Amino acid sequence: MLKMNNISRIYQSDTIQTHALRDFSLNVEAGEFVAVTGPSGSGKSTFLNVAGLLDHFDRGQYELDGVSVQGLKDNELSRLRNEKIGFIFQNYNLIPDYSIFDNVDMPLRYRGFNANERKRRVEEALEKVGLASRLKYLPSQLSGGQQQRVAIARALAGEPKILLADEPTGNLDSLMARQVMEILHDLNKDGATIIMVTHDTDQAREVNRNVQVIDGQLADFRVYAPLDRQAEQTGKNISAVASKNVNEEVVDA
Amino acid sequence: MNFATLNIKGLIKSLLLRKFTTGLLILQLAITLGLLVNSAILAFDTREKMSKPTGLDDENILIVSTHPTSGSYRDLDYYRSIVNEDLSKLNQLPGVNSVSITNQLPIRGRGMLSNTHDIDNPEQEKADKYLKDVKYTLAGEHLAEAMGFTIIEGRFLNKSDELDFDSEAKNNIVITESLKKGLYGDESAIGRETNNGIIVGVIKDIMLDPTLPRDKQYGLFMNTIMKYIFIGRFYVINVEPGQMANVRNQVSDTILAVQAERDIFDVFTMSEHLKNFYRDDQGLSDLFLLLCGLMIFVTAISSYAYSQFHISRQKKYIGIRRALGARKQDILLYVLTENWLVYTIGCALGLVMALGFNILLSQYISLSKPDMMLFLLASAVIFVAGTLATWIPAVKTSNIPPVIATRTV
Amino acid sequence: MRSASMLAYNLTLAMQSFKRAPSLYFLVVLTLSIGVGLLCANLALVNSMASDPIPEKSEQLFHVSMNTWPNDDPQAEPFHILRYREAMKIVSSDIPKNSAVFYASGVYARDSASPSLKRFDSSVRATTPGFFSLTNAPFAYGSGFIKSSVMEVVIGHELNQKIFTGENSVGKVLELDGELLTIVGVLKPWRLRPLFYHATEGRAFNLTDDIYAPLETSIDLGWSIHARSSSTVSYKGVKFTRDRDVFYLQAWVELENSAKKQAFQYYLDNYSQSLKDVGEHPLAIRNELRDVNAWLLEQNIVDQKVLAFTLASVLFLCVCVFNASSLLLSRFHSAKFEVGLRRAIGASNKNILMQGITESALLGVIAGLLSLLLSWLFLKLSIKFLPDLENLAVLEPKLLLLGVLLALVTAIFSALYPLYRGTRYTISAELK
Repeated sequence: MLKMNNISRIYQSDTIQTHALRDFSLNVEAGEFVAVTGPSGSGKSTFLNVAGLLDHFDRGQYELDGVSVQGLKDNELSRLRNEKIGFIFQNYNLIPDYSIFDNVDMPLRYRGFNANERKRRVEEALEKVGLASRLKYLPSQLSGGQQQRVAIARALAGEPKILLADEPTGNLDSLMARQVMEILHDLNKDGATIIMVTHDTDQAREVNRNVQVIDGQLADFRVYAPLDRQAEQTGKNISAVASKNVNEEVVDA
Repeated sequence: MNFATLNIKGLIKSLLLRKFTTGLLILQLAITLGLLVNSAILAFDTREKMSKPTGLDDENILIVSTHPTSGSYRDLDYYRSIVNEDLSKLNQLPGVNSVSITNQLPIRGRGMLSNTHDIDNPEQEKADKYLKDVKYTLAGEHLAEAMGFTIIEGRFLNKSDELDFDSEAKNNIVITESLKKGLYGDESAIGRETNNGIIVGVIKDIMLDPTLPRDKQYGLFMNTIMKYIFIGRFYVINVEPGQMANVRNQVSDTILAVQAERDIFDVFTMSEHLKNFYRDDQGLSDLFLLLCGLMIFVTAISSYAYSQFHISRQKKYIGIRRALGARKQDILLYVLTENWLVYTIGCALGLVMALGFNILLSQYISLSKPDMMLFLLASAVIFVAGTLATWIPAVKTSNIPPVIATRTV
Repeated sequence: MRSASMLAYNLTLAMQSFKRAPSLYFLVVLTLSIGVGLLCANLALVNSMASDPIPEKSEQLFHVSMNTWPNDDPQAEPFHILRYREAMKIVSSDIPKNSAVFYASGVYARDSASPSLKRFDSSVRATTPGFFSLTNAPFAYGSGFIKSSVMEVVIGHELNQKIFTGENSVGKVLELDGELLTIVGVLKPWRLRPLFYHATEGRAFNLTDDIYAPLETSIDLGWSIHARSSSTVSYKGVKFTRDRDVFYLQAWVELENSAKKQAFQYYLDNYSQSLKDVGEHPLAIRNELRDVNAWLLEQNIVDQKVLAFTLASVLFLCVCVFNASSLLLSRFHSAKFEVGLRRAIGASNKNILMQGITESALLGVIAGLLSLLLSWLFLKLSIKFLPDLENLAVLEPKLLLLGVLLALVTAIFSALYPLYRGTRYTISAELK
């Protein structure tokens, strides 16, 4: 699914050159749930930015779902981002002026779907995270956990190949964090490929693969057997997942 | 331009959330549009006024406005002899077709006027108020040729009509077509007697007073200029096409060479005289256009500042959009459309303003009513000016990298 | 004093603030000063047109209109010009403190003692001697003529400059249209805005006349009428107008109180009645006395074009104020952090407000000064577009003051909402 080979990302200020990523290589297969840990300043955020095509890299090769990324123009990169990647940010990054519906709808607009198709996908995505009844709400009217769930719905709506999560529970209390992780694990069970940056070692241990980034390089530790979940590698699109466990009670957390 | 990527309702909602700044910009746009429309109307009105046909050969008539400075001219015989020599010398200039002298010019408001009626029908003036103020022009012998009058009935005035001094004989007069219609309808006027004299000819209408209706250009001509030579202020010279510059350079010297104690106020062509009549109208129109330019400048600054301000607050969200897959041109379109939406509302309000200003300004000056085409054109100007003003911020915004979405600072 | 040092501090802060966003503040100052400057220039023109030219006695000077037109024409309004016989009737009354009857003419003048034949085109006021006291004409040398039929003249300052280079020319002899007249008085520079004594025929913005000559002398010398005249008979020249129905003279009287005004009204009405009694006054008796301001109002001399443009420049100022407001809002928003910091260390909302107002007041003063320059520039420009306004395009001190005040007010006004918004942020949000 995701193949990075000797990626380097160098930040150049007037006097200092910083290697945020240095000869970084990583392979992620479809259906894997990878936790990326590391001390702060190690470059794990940079890794996610490069993986998510948000930032360019200076050296190396990157192949995403069979598509070679280097040399692609901005338009093509944007299209890739739109179609193949679902991003989940630490501070949700919802547009405060837009209703939940409009927030989830946003990436679909850049896809070129017609209004009916978009409506269908939005409602489906919100159903999966259990917020279908709150279509017209503004983000400010929801709790942190609910907002993050909307962000997940937004990431899902376009049926991406891979989900990238940047400290998804970083701003949530432990109860809401648990619920969000539940959703992510369920998505992975149904075949979603997820890469999650976290500094919570408990969370890291719950997933089937751990990597550590230190000083811009990868230190790939052993694959953990998950504490109580089955690893399934189906390589299916995430849209095939049905989230039966998530229901309205969870929403009120 | 893929407009399907735009969430118009969302755009409108975000505009509503910043009512103050958006409202200010909308007001500015509306006022600017209102002024633009009315200034355009003023400019077109003035142009139209100035291009009305005068009935005269404007380009080829040269007029000299002059007055003697010496007291010797109180001797009328002396005065007349000098004038005759002036006319003769001017006639000899190469390029000059004919020369004459008169007391007042067409294309002028009011002037020397007299009430006129058929001698048997003094009540006419009560029915037609324009008969009270008929332009009373003293014509030298060749005025018809000099001015290029078209004679439609009878003849123009000649030497025989020039009365001796202290003569009590009745004047012969020539009248304009509209005066004939006003006095006698469709009947012939030749030989009829008015209180001012006996009609010997009728000429086609010329623009005597632009402020009066076209069919009320009442004027009469009488050959008593030599009798009242002291009001003969204007020499009228008909010039061969193409020779105007030559002749113009020489008239002053020619006249002063005959007798130097003269003040030559002005030498001008009939078309310059026409332009001069509308000089103030043109001046006001130009002032309004100047003001428009300034207003568009200020509103453009506002549009730039507005765009810049709101974009700088939205940096993060633009980054998020890019992270979700928006391309640079999608962002550009988004920013431009946000502005265009404001312009559209501004122009819609501007329509109301334009109508309002038109009514208000009409209290002070004469102004045509606005029409839809003009309004659309003015709106287009606003859109273009605004887009130009906000182009650079818009492009800069589209260059915001998607990595901003993940920055937490 | 604490408030003085506070003011000094606020001013320093304002200067610092300007340095941090120079182009923005430049735009604010520029647009406000253009808006204020334009409006002030227009107000200057309107002021010249609408002001009272002789405030010390404008309520005691009256223009006379009479309805003595000898033809039966029911639509006629009372005429502002009179015949010789009515004019003489007015002048012979002892009710008014002063009276003046005159007509406008023009001659070519030269110093009779000069070898040069160069003559100067001069505007003439052919008038009875009461004119000078009535109008408070300011004399630099000499005095007015006493009788209406002498060969004496009074000349204005500008003509004196042209012919005699400004020296005391009393006693010198001018050649006017071949006749010799002696100068008995020279006026100081005399500006009447508007020219109330001859506000008709579009002359309200002319300069005061070059030569003031006795009425009878002018008539006898046949100096032609240069303003409106109407007659029911033809006549060979002004010489022949004394006993004919030729209307061309204007009359002004000085009536010190309402009792005198009533008495004079009665006098005129009596005269008109006497005409009626012999069948020479077919129209209704309507003798109207209007004081200076009422007369100017009646003549509607304020140029409608200038009024229209003034209206437009008010709108322009509004646009400039809205612009300044937008710019200031964005400026205050970007200064949010600093404001939050100040509040966090103890500045009250009131302090912040005062700081903001001081800043806008300073902006206003700068814009005001710049606007004066722009006003002056614009007046010069407006003469190119509307040349008739040349004598009116002056900036009186009160207008200069108005300009600065207006700039100050608009600057503070445009900052009000942005300042108010600034006080609404929570400190912690500002500091984040």
